[in-house]
Amino acid sequence: MRFLLVDRIRELEPGRRIRAEKTLAPTEELFRDHFPGFPVVPGVLLTEMMAQAAGKCLDAEGRPRGKPMLAQIRSASFREWVRPGEKAEIVATIQSSQDQVATARCHIEVGGRTVCSAELLFAFVPRDLFAADWRDPVLEAFLMGRADATDGAGPASPARSSVAGGEGRA
Amino acid sequence: VSLNEALAWIAGLFEEPVENMKPGTARDAIPAWDSLGVLTLMVGLDERFDITVTGDEVASMKSVDDILAVLRRHGKLG
Repeated sequence: MRFLLVDRIRELEPGRRIRAEKTLAPTEELFRDHFPGFPVVPGVLLTEMMAQAAGKCLDAEGRPRGKPMLAQIRSASFREWVRPGEKAEIVATIQSSQDQVATARCHIEVGGRTVCSAELLFAFVPRDLFAADWRDPVLEAFLMGRADATDGAGPASPARSSVAGGEGRA
Repeated sequence: VSLNEALAWIAGLFEEPVENMKPGTARDAIPAWDSLGVLTLMVGLDERFDITVTGDEVASMKSVDDILAVLRRHGKLG
């Protein structure tokens, strides 16, 4: 599997809050091992979903401070199983955002129920460490008004954003 | 906050027993005060005391006394 753990962004206030989603298909190979006969999404992947969503929220601000990288899981709780094929709705709210460090309070909902939550700390790494031509397809798709970025899952409803001070650019 | 409250806060930040935390305690004596600890300190000062320090400022702190000095300078330490 690719390590793209956000399918699409639904709402975005750059540097403040993001709502995104991810669905892991029942055909993903990892479910053969986690666990045999009882497939559930691993907590580490739920944590990474929250980290990637929060990272996109920070990235969307466009501040010249580098790329946000998960540096510390300050707390994490996993309350309910997430099954293959269930849509994880990821919410991240930025708590503190400085030139070198940021924190986010995150949670994931499935069917309106909170299944896990985490408080994450990010450090910023110089962008010149990364491939110069790399672009975030999910973030760019949202900013360009297309919510269906990576998985070909079909058209999505219009996304909402406070980018440019109003509704999404769709 | 009082001096004891500040020391307890710093101890919690770096996951040290509070009895180990004295004003004269050097950074080198606090294992968790590493590069990640620097970031934790920056966030902690912001979240707990609404104090924003630069990376250079926080990196130049070499002892608990230096943290207390920041709190004092911002009027947070009684």
